Amino acid sequence: MKGKTILKERLPDFIDELIRENLVFAPVKRENITCFDEISASDEVHLNLQNTKKPSKDVLLPKCEPLLLFEAKDKKVEVKEPKISDARRILFGIRPCEARGFNVFDKAFTSDEFKDVYYMKRRENAIVIGMACLKPSPTCFCTSVGGSPFSREGSDLLLVDLGDRYFVDVITEKGEEVIEKTRLFKDAEKRDIDAAEKAAKEAEASIKTRIRLEGIQDKLSKMFDDPSWDDLHQKCVGCGVCTFLCPTCYCFDIVDESYGFEMRRVRVWDTCQFPLFTQQASGVNPRPSGKERMRQRIMHKFSYFPEVHGEIACIGCGRCIRECPVNFDIREVLKSIM
Amino acid sequence: MSLETSLREIARKLLEEGQVDVIIGYEKGSLPLQTTPCFIDDADDVDRLVWNESCGNNLAKYLVDRKDKAGVVAKGCDARSIVMLVVEKQVERDKVVIIGVPCSGIIDRRKIVETLEGREMLEATIKGDKVVVNVEGSEEVFAKEQFLCESCQTCEHRNAPIYDVFVGEKAKETKSMGETSLSELEKMTASERWSFFKRELGKCIRCYACREVCPLCYCEECFVDQTMPSWLGKTDDESEVMFYHVTRALHLAGRCVDCGACSRACPMGINLRNLNRRVEKRVKELYNYEAGLSFEETPPLATFKLNDPQEFIK
Amino acid sequence: METTVSPSTEVNKEDNWEPKIIAFLCNWCSYAGADLAGVSRIQYPPNVRIVRVPCSGRINPMFIVKCLERGVDGVLVSGCHPGECHYISGNLFARRKFTILKEILEFVGIEPGRVQFSWVSASEGEKFARVVRDVVEEVKALGPIERMVKAAPI
Repeated sequence: MKGKTILKERLPDFIDELIRENLVFAPVKRENITCFDEISASDEVHLNLQNTKKPSKDVLLPKCEPLLLFEAKDKKVEVKEPKISDARRILFGIRPCEARGFNVFDKAFTSDEFKDVYYMKRRENAIVIGMACLKPSPTCFCTSVGGSPFSREGSDLLLVDLGDRYFVDVITEKGEEVIEKTRLFKDAEKRDIDAAEKAAKEAEASIKTRIRLEGIQDKLSKMFDDPSWDDLHQKCVGCGVCTFLCPTCYCFDIVDESYGFEMRRVRVWDTCQFPLFTQQASGVNPRPSGKERMRQRIMHKFSYFPEVHGEIACIGCGRCIRECPVNFDIREVLKSIM
Repeated sequence: MSLETSLREIARKLLEEGQVDVIIGYEKGSLPLQTTPCFIDDADDVDRLVWNESCGNNLAKYLVDRKDKAGVVAKGCDARSIVMLVVEKQVERDKVVIIGVPCSGIIDRRKIVETLEGREMLEATIKGDKVVVNVEGSEEVFAKEQFLCESCQTCEHRNAPIYDVFVGEKAKETKSMGETSLSELEKMTASERWSFFKRELGKCIRCYACREVCPLCYCEECFVDQTMPSWLGKTDDESEVMFYHVTRALHLAGRCVDCGACSRACPMGINLRNLNRRVEKRVKELYNYEAGLSFEETPPLATFKLNDPQEFIK
Repeated sequence: METTVSPSTEVNKEDNWEPKIIAFLCNWCSYAGADLAGVSRIQYPPNVRIVRVPCSGRINPMFIVKCLERGVDGVLVSGCHPGECHYISGNLFARRKFTILKEILEFVGIEPGRVQFSWVSASEGEKFARVVRDVVEEVKALGPIERMVKAAPI
């Protein structure tokens, strides 16, 4: 691998340099909650944890995104488009699983014919600086869904913490451009590359959860009417925690919000776990109970999405497992299916 | 015989004798200090049942809309929820077998995770009044009392007030010393409280975990989902979030048993109890009512007295 | 009663700012009382917009919170005196609802005085005018509402 290194103590300088000319998003702690947010100084960056509580998806797909603005003025209605900054977005400290996860959004929001302009505006200008996982959590299972703690997919640069320095895997040209502008990096030596490769092997070996998912797509496609769904969903209470904290869930709703003389058409996150998601105006709901909605979640991620787009829409980050109020564990579901 | 063994025996007997169709209890979870609800309909499976300080979920939640007869493992707060559900005619009394268990508090898992500050909790065991945690290979010990859920610290109903069968000896009831967090809030000015709630509730992501784990939030159509009229929008605007929490507290007035399930469920760690606690305190002072203690008492907002307090009315 | 001075009150408050107050009046007593005030030519401030409801018990506390959300500076809810409700007990149930609502709003930090309640009978035209005068004065002292108002995020 083509590599560079940067001394750990110089990383804040690098980040501060990036902040000068770009919008930089990094893991931070806001009100005791770890999430990704725009930073104005390198000391806001919080790298002291495996996964942030809130995923990085809201950098590309904000929770509430105005699509159109209407203002009533002088008996006329002005329609405006919201301003999305053209500045380059540096997504710093993204875990390899989430970097892979952006691919799911790409597949969902773009096609040959259509591109979601709001998503594209953020995505096109985004540069992903990943941070490899040295110590995956007990709840991580990225290797079961096609990823790995050192996966290069989706990142432009991948940093590996080697103690006093970071090894930097320069993966794309975009990534190379970012590094070229600064003098803080020097070429990696063999010992750096060896150390990074060793760390990668150790990290991968340390992942405890291993589920064989070959053929799950086919298996699930035959299981729609399987009676096992009756028992599976029983303890799920139907909240939105798993979907809102999932880095690859992207379902949304579009609502009109009024603020006096101003109105906004806003895209907001929605979840298939709420009954309202499929409620029709006639009163019919094709997914009337928790059973259908739970089934939908599993089938969408592991059967429908792979069928249409060729990859599993789960990255194995484990947030849904950690935060579920009733400890519904998707790994157990997958094991029982296989 | 240990408590767990007694519990399993009772469950086995209830299933074998056909007194219940299903036992709703707790089984081992997939994370340290976590248990998970389980539904056992086969007497051979009762050994899955556990009972310990991680059994936090309020299982009364699963009783609404059940067609079968269920035996429910119930802590003091859970049993009170069941009583409320019966009073509100959501559950038939003879369709529930309340299996009371002695509870001396639930461990606040999130608090321990927060204290570890990013280090991973690999395993944990509860030994008496200590919680012994394996933190990435090294051992750390926490005093159980300091890491109990807030709702458990002030609990005055550790045992089910009404039950069909009780497992083992009752837990010792304690008189609450009063809440420090609530009294701190009460001392603040309105502006200070507004800032406090703005910040605290500003973390809300509208996942509705609080609503879904609450046994008393059983409305088929929640006010949040109503479109005719539309009370709330779906955005994260501050006013929307406040509206939701204020109205939920209103709807739970005189019905909340302070089981703490909402605060435990909140992924953002918001202390949701503050508002509910304050309302229940005032309900007790104004109408001398505590939820879930008797089948005969009418909930306070479903009735009135001619001499109800009204000094605030012009 | 605590009066708070919000920053915008200092900066933007024009001397001619008038509070906007919505009054929910029960049809049989308070609305009739307001009507009597009008017929008797008793003067009261014009800040009040009246919404007629059949009974104070009809009022869903969410109406009141929704008013605040929409930028209304004050809300007045008025019904029959206890014991005189046209529907016998509507106002008696409402009394407890309003008590709890007031507790919650004040605990959350909405200024006491923004949401007010009264019992006004059909013959109390004079009282109605006095209540409105008091409410307008009290809300005026609190300034324009900011907390709880739905505002467009930047």
